[in-house]
Amino acid sequence: MPHRFTRRKFLSFAALGAAAPIFDVKPLRGIDFILENSPTPGKFLIETMPGGVALFDYNNDGLLDIFLVNGGHITESLHVPENFDRANPRYWNRLYRQNRDGSFADVTQSAGLANAGKANYGMAVAVGDYDNDGYPDLFVTSYGKNVLYHNNGDGTFTDVTVKAGVAGGGWSVSAGFFDYNNDGNLDLFVTRYMEWDADHNKVCGGDWHTYCPPNVFPATTCLLYRNRGDGTFEDVSARAGFTAKKGRALGAAFADYDGDGFTDIFVSNDGMQQYLFHNNGDGTFNECALESGAALTSDGKGLSGMGTVFQDYDNDGRPDVIVTVLPRELYGLYHNDDGRLFTYQSLETGLGALTSGSSGWGVGLEDFDNDGWKDLFVAQSHVLDNVQQIDASLRYKELPLLALNHSGRFERADSGVTTPIAARGAAFGDINNDGYMDVVISTLGGPPVLLLNRGGNNHWLTIILRGTRSNRDGYGAQVRVNGQTRFATSAGSYVCANDKRLHFGLGAAEKATVEVLWPSGTKQSLSDVRADQFLEVREPPERP
Amino acid sequence: MMYLFVFAWLAGQAATSDAMQHMQSGLEARQQHQVDTEIAEFRKATELDPALADAFVNLGAAYMEKHDYGAAIAPLKRALDLSPDLAVAHQFLGYALLAQGYAAQAIPHLERAGAQEALGIAQIEVGQLNEAVRNFSAALAKRPDDPDLQYYLGHASGLLSKASIDTLLATHPESARAHQALAENYFVLRQMPQAEKEYLEALRLRPDLPGAHLELGQVYANSTQWPKAEAEFRAEAKFRPGSAEAAYRLGAALLQEGKSHDALVELKRANDLKPEMPETLYSLGKAAALDGDNATAERSWLKVVELEKDTALAAQSHFGLAGLYRKQGKTAQAQRQMQEFQKLQGAIGPPRSE
Repeated sequence: MPHRFTRRKFLSFAALGAAAPIFDVKPLRGIDFILENSPTPGKFLIETMPGGVALFDYNNDGLLDIFLVNGGHITESLHVPENFDRANPRYWNRLYRQNRDGSFADVTQSAGLANAGKANYGMAVAVGDYDNDGYPDLFVTSYGKNVLYHNNGDGTFTDVTVKAGVAGGGWSVSAGFFDYNNDGNLDLFVTRYMEWDADHNKVCGGDWHTYCPPNVFPATTCLLYRNRGDGTFEDVSARAGFTAKKGRALGAAFADYDGDGFTDIFVSNDGMQQYLFHNNGDGTFNECALESGAALTSDGKGLSGMGTVFQDYDNDGRPDVIVTVLPRELYGLYHNDDGRLFTYQSLETGLGALTSGSSGWGVGLEDFDNDGWKDLFVAQSHVLDNVQQIDASLRYKELPLLALNHSGRFERADSGVTTPIAARGAAFGDINNDGYMDVVISTLGGPPVLLLNRGGNNHWLTIILRGTRSNRDGYGAQVRVNGQTRFATSAGSYVCANDKRLHFGLGAAEKATVEVLWPSGTKQSLSDVRADQFLEVREPPERP
Repeated sequence: MMYLFVFAWLAGQAATSDAMQHMQSGLEARQQHQVDTEIAEFRKATELDPALADAFVNLGAAYMEKHDYGAAIAPLKRALDLSPDLAVAHQFLGYALLAQGYAAQAIPHLERAGAQEALGIAQIEVGQLNEAVRNFSAALAKRPDDPDLQYYLGHASGLLSKASIDTLLATHPESARAHQALAENYFVLRQMPQAEKEYLEALRLRPDLPGAHLELGQVYANSTQWPKAEAEFRAEAKFRPGSAEAAYRLGAALLQEGKSHDALVELKRANDLKPEMPETLYSLGKAAALDGDNATAERSWLKVVELEKDTALAAQSHFGLAGLYRKQGKTAQAQRQMQEFQKLQGAIGPPRSE
């Protein structure tokens, strides 16, 4: 009897030829947010830089909620003192609470997060429980003043900026909480881009009339605030060594790259060398990127650094750095060789060939297919909205990059996004708690895009750290699971805050061994841990 | 300069008449930069002795000094009627006619005078482009630093190139070469999709068209489509195994794709075919370093800094050497190379492309 080749059979064979997308592009039900960047013919540089996304569980119901940073209203006649009309609901930042059915409810006003201040054009968001009360707090950066919102634990937030002393000023971009002095209180680091205001804006590109490159404006410094533990912060930028290093900082990520027990900072600078601030452990930092090999490309060139991530991509236990940049450059991958020196490995990891034509912003190293190797995701779009007129081979709107990690070499995969977008921020987290990492992307002039992971058959383990002597979030902890390492942080990417839970893909393994090195120095081991669960690991009260 | 020449030439003539006295007065007026007096004296000399060729030459020269080229033509022609072999008269007449736009009439006089630069200009005017290029090249061989000659040679060569391509497009519009020529134009205009289309058509018509794979590869490289660039450079290298450029481009594309070992092979081959090319050596160093061949990396980059002192490639080679030595624990050498890099860092442009 002859075989019948049915249509179903044909389709199943055809499916083998092309790998299925990792994500489904899903509407965020209940979210009607538009990122109002307000592009004008005036080409004010801030227009092309927002906005942040935070994935965090503000009400501790076990579901990730979403906070979205808005830009503001800009007119061509913008002058100092600027007014971005932030009292208008169209320009509010927004908090959306996730409901049990996966939809979201806008709780901005009831949470007390409406109106971010008329002179503040929004940029980024950082998340951390700075007062260790068990509820994550929000820090929102702006061109203008930054705002610290204390989470009251009852669904509301209080603006405590003045009391805390963290308003800053100028043009702040990415920010992150971390505990630089291991005193158990989360400190705060803020990148600032450049000295700029509306009265000193410039338009570049001659007849093309476009945004200026960063070197047209003076460089500036980053901010470090020490948490005193009483709800106030001290600006220690000068004492810690940050005012001595001017740059054009956009992104920041934290990890202890040299294993000395103190969290270091990698700063992605635009149009110049990158900065690696080594934490000396005495309250000061030493910028050492050049001598560490993490400042420039292998050709000795600066980078248009935008987003950055500081995690271990090759499972050697040491955090590596990836920096996203503009086209004609390659996304920079700095491999941490020995806890002291880095090697630029964009070419040999395959990243160069994947990225030389693209502009990258938000970036994450997450194990999207749960095979035990962290994959790379980058939100992409050119900085210039008219770049295609200037160079026909470039595009303003791009597809995001998803590159799966095959034993340390990256290969392009189908993200599932088919329509190019003007992406900026990318926040990573397990939105639907299925053990597979999802992504939320912010887009200029558009709604956020949810990429919901289709999942698979591999196993996983997600660790929720609960610090007792260390900071309650466990930021700065080094967590090792079945040979993979993650450095606990919600910072990194670009202008975003990620799900603070630490996700590990386990492949076929149904059990895991977990080792945690807490910022307090406490080491903790767990064996025979069952896969496919969210596991809270509580720091032992005393050093064993 | 030419007036001095006339003066010197006349200095050897004997004054035998009243006409010669006016000649002498004319020359004295020239020395005092009294052009109108000069003209009056030489005119008087020509009136007193209408067969005195020298007087007509000087009268023409004086008009030229006054930039009155139209008035210079008649006395210079008369001088040549009287003395057809008078080279200086040919030269002046050629200049005057050329200045008045009579390029075709100027050419025989400039040829007789051996005035290659002016002859080349006249030949451009009348479309004798091959001859113009030849004359400018000959003149430039004698005065290699002359910016006017450098400009005119480039200008004439460009026109010759354009004329040749125009002929090609008019006579063989569907030929492979015509499509290649169009593609090159699009490439210069940075219109890469059109350039790609024309190159592909050229190669469809003639798959082994010399240079076309290399150029198409550069189109792909410009738009960072490295696998396609590699394929084209590989095709060129196959057709022309002796081409150092094809080997270099292929090696550079492989390097971009992270295929360091294959890149190293090709770049070594490029270096063997055409040694001491700084670009090849720099990339060879990079490929070697990536492939773990530190000795070749060090040797290649040291050669670059020997060949180039203050260029971006020299800076980049110092940077590469600094990294190499740092990894080998040679701290002092690493620091020295880093210092050299920092001195030259300004030679490397900013990262942004737009």
